[in-house]
Amino acid sequence: MTLLMAIVEATPSPAPVPGAGIFTSPFLLSLLIWIPVIVATAIAFMPNPRGRYEVLIKQIAFFANLGMMAVLFIAYNQFENFLPTMQYEEKIPWLPGIGVTYHLGVDGPGLLMLMLSGLIGIASVLGSLGVRERVRSYFCLLLLAQASVNGAIVARDMFVLLVFWGASVVPLALLIIGWGGPRRVAAAWRLVGYWGLGTAALAIGVLALYAASGGQSFDMDVLLKASLSPRIQIAISVVMIIAAATRLPLFPFHGWIRDVLSEAPPGVTVVVAGAASRLGAFLLLRTVIGAEPAAGHLLSPLLAALAAMTVGFAGLAALRSVDVRHAASYLAMVPGGITVLGLAAISPLGIAGSVLSMFTGGLAAALIAGVCATLAERAQSRSLLVLSGLAPRMPNVAWLLTIAALALLGVPILSSYTAEVMTFFGAFKNQPIGAFAVAAGLAVSAIALAVLLRRVLLGAPNTDAPGVSDASLGETWFLGLLAGALLWVGLFPGGPKIPGTDVPLFDPGLLNQMSAGISDIASQYAAPTPPAAQ
Amino acid sequence: MKYLVLLPEVLVAGLAVILMVGGRFGLFPRASRAYLPHATVLIVLVAFGVELWAGATVSAYLGGALVQDRFSLFAKAAALLTAAVVLTTADWAAEDSVHLGLAMPLVAAFGVMVAASAGDMLGLWAGLEVAAAAGVVLVSLRRPDLGLRLLLVGGVASTLILVGLAFVYASTGNSDLIAIHDVLVGRAPTLALAIPVLLLLAGIAVRAGLAPFHMAILPVGFGASPLGASLVIGMTAVAAGIVAIKLASALLPIPEVYAPYAQVVAVLAMVGGGAAALAVRSPRPRLAYLAVGQLGWVAAGLATHYRSGIGGSLFLLGAFAVAATCGPALLGRAEGGEPAIAGLGALRPVRSAGFALAILSLAGAPPMAGFFGELSVAAALAQSGNFVLLGLGLLGSVLSIAAAVGTLRVLYIQSPLEEARRGAAAALPAVTGLSSLGAAAFCVVLAAYVVFGYPIMGLADQGAKALGLR
Repeated sequence: MTLLMAIVEATPSPAPVPGAGIFTSPFLLSLLIWIPVIVATAIAFMPNPRGRYEVLIKQIAFFANLGMMAVLFIAYNQFENFLPTMQYEEKIPWLPGIGVTYHLGVDGPGLLMLMLSGLIGIASVLGSLGVRERVRSYFCLLLLAQASVNGAIVARDMFVLLVFWGASVVPLALLIIGWGGPRRVAAAWRLVGYWGLGTAALAIGVLALYAASGGQSFDMDVLLKASLSPRIQIAISVVMIIAAATRLPLFPFHGWIRDVLSEAPPGVTVVVAGAASRLGAFLLLRTVIGAEPAAGHLLSPLLAALAAMTVGFAGLAALRSVDVRHAASYLAMVPGGITVLGLAAISPLGIAGSVLSMFTGGLAAALIAGVCATLAERAQSRSLLVLSGLAPRMPNVAWLLTIAALALLGVPILSSYTAEVMTFFGAFKNQPIGAFAVAAGLAVSAIALAVLLRRVLLGAPNTDAPGVSDASLGETWFLGLLAGALLWVGLFPGGPKIPGTDVPLFDPGLLNQMSAGISDIASQYAAPTPPAAQ
Repeated sequence: MKYLVLLPEVLVAGLAVILMVGGRFGLFPRASRAYLPHATVLIVLVAFGVELWAGATVSAYLGGALVQDRFSLFAKAAALLTAAVVLTTADWAAEDSVHLGLAMPLVAAFGVMVAASAGDMLGLWAGLEVAAAAGVVLVSLRRPDLGLRLLLVGGVASTLILVGLAFVYASTGNSDLIAIHDVLVGRAPTLALAIPVLLLLAGIAVRAGLAPFHMAILPVGFGASPLGASLVIGMTAVAAGIVAIKLASALLPIPEVYAPYAQVVAVLAMVGGGAAALAVRSPRPRLAYLAVGQLGWVAAGLATHYRSGIGGSLFLLGAFAVAATCGPALLGRAEGGEPAIAGLGALRPVRSAGFALAILSLAGAPPMAGFFGELSVAAALAQSGNFVLLGLGLLGSVLSIAAAVGTLRVLYIQSPLEEARRGAAAALPAVTGLSSLGAAAFCVVLAAYVVFGYPIMGLADQGAKALGLR
């Protein structure tokens, strides 16, 4: 516990990373939103006679993502983690008649989400290299989806958040309809239905907040700091929880996840499971836990209950599945439940664990969904009654599936371990029942994972099964990138240092960078100091 | 110089007359078919420029019958821009007459301009009728039966409006809108005023094709030529919307006499439009129902009876005008149900992009122009505490977005029809330099509506203020 607290509460070092400060831009965050939009537009209107430039289109999408990652890495390195304020802020009046400002900014949790989105972006393009049909439309939509996710992360104006939150629905639904599996149409409609409901709930919440705070501005600095009565806080928070629950997803708003994650192409699966769905937890952090302390206190048991039901349901449903992609889809719900448990803990440690869990959970969910999608494609079957004893014939997939399973369970060395330990340690104090219930659900999930691994990888080879091949280089890279990120942060949560010094190397450490802003959120829930200690 | 403000009206009306007369008596050589649309669009753009340049002058003309203020500036500019874009995007191979096809959108735009700058009830009625008559002419060219139906339905609407206006005149003793507003200040709502307002709003709802009256109007739009449908679904509804906004502002001192009706109509249109759009599959009917849903948001803005709500409605009406009017024109000849537009994204990329944006904007999908308009109305609804209406509106928008995704799927994901199976009803829109430019211009206009939301919304707000709203 002491070590954990030391990690979390370590005063971030302002020592600059070598290379920091060499590049600044007043529009750094805008670049992350508008580069993919501009590239998508360029791809859409690029001449492509008889598909001649399809490889070029894939390269453009890849290098655009790589370029954005470079920009993001600069932002990550230059981020001043000793400042609790928003950084890289951009503020331009947009619709002043109703108080809308194009206001962007990022704090520690936001930066973490951006890093997740950047990694997922590269992984999704690598995972989509096998797309052969309508390549131009595919990458165009994929880039638009990425832009909308980035926009929702950096938005500091509720109106702007709503725009980007809703804008991700259409391209993702079209990607599923266009390039998904046999039940793709139903999957896309479910996505539109649930996410549409979530967007409507968010709109109601935002507008209620806007009305309750005087109807002058949509800026988060105004809306989220308005002093509202507990009743209004609770009403708004309930709506926000519904909006978040449709995205993350949380039980009982999970109706889309099985079909979407099992029917979407692998490149889209990682975007949905990895970055787009984590926005739900991010919304909870921003608008409920971070902004409405009275509602946060009162509704935290509800959040813990939702988390417990989500993890429990996911484990049981995965255990009962006979389709490997269905099982993976249910298991991808587990990290979301753990993230919400951390938020429900409303303690500094729990919230910090929850924030880290957004990153690690996004990677783990994307990895399990992505690796099972690849496995199903390569093994030419999704049925767990058919898939058996694949480890010798698919060594790359086998390793990646094992890492994904370990990441979901939070074993040491992987970054999800740190996140889950922080979350549970934070939660056992304030939400003991919820924490026990989530832990029980996690145990069921562990059983489900064990059964899955035993059947698929270690069982007796099925001689009647269709032919099997291991993951291609592109697939191995895209899944390896996710697994590598989980390992890297697990091994170096505070970033690697120049030997013998405290000067960070190229990576200042995710745990250090994310801490900026968390203390402000957590301070609202800090336990009063006992009189004797004063 | 004072009358320079009326130059756009003169240009538009004069050009329409020249086109009609010239077409009727064969004054234009056959070769003129190639350049006449270009010349017409150019003149409309000149009128648009003059409107923006000279329209800022606030003054009254013809003894107060026409008023130039920020409201009329906004509405007239929107009408002229819409007319220019729709004429540019039109698929002239799909129209029954080039001359009338060019003239009627100008007549409709003229009607909208008259309604926008009307200072009294007569001007409002006349503007609405002129705009609607243009639609009847174009519809009748292809389907006289539908033209007759539109004429009859229009007659009913016109009667309701006239009776309502007459009752309002009898109740207030004035036909001047500002005078009516002044008379009603401090008055209590009475049944004698509520009944004519109900008739008035019913007439306007019929004209606009709002639910539940859309059943009378929309089938007409389905059978008309693309430009005919543009006028029925778009321009006539815009004219009706403008009349509704101006009447609502005149009746503002006693919102109890109109706000409940507006709320009911808004709910029916928003939810019904979205559900109907989801239920149909053909692109044009879907677009028409999406338009109905968005008009519901305009009505919801009126129901707030606040300046912010009516400003939001006006802002939304601008986005609606462009999308609903140009949508059918962008679709061109591809009217034969869903298969007609399958894979159109690959075959006609610019036109498809325009149609996709029109559909998304009408559905209120973020980050389109319609979304911004709907959200500005939603903000006003939230300010007024009308969360039930807001929730139902959002439900309608979710249904609309789901419908829009269905159309996008057909446009971009499905494979195109084989040429041999492509009949006349599924003919591809013709590709010409002007129409491609028009489709691109349409995309730019919709994007600009979002990017330059600041000044446009400011102008809409000033427009609402000019109506005497605070």
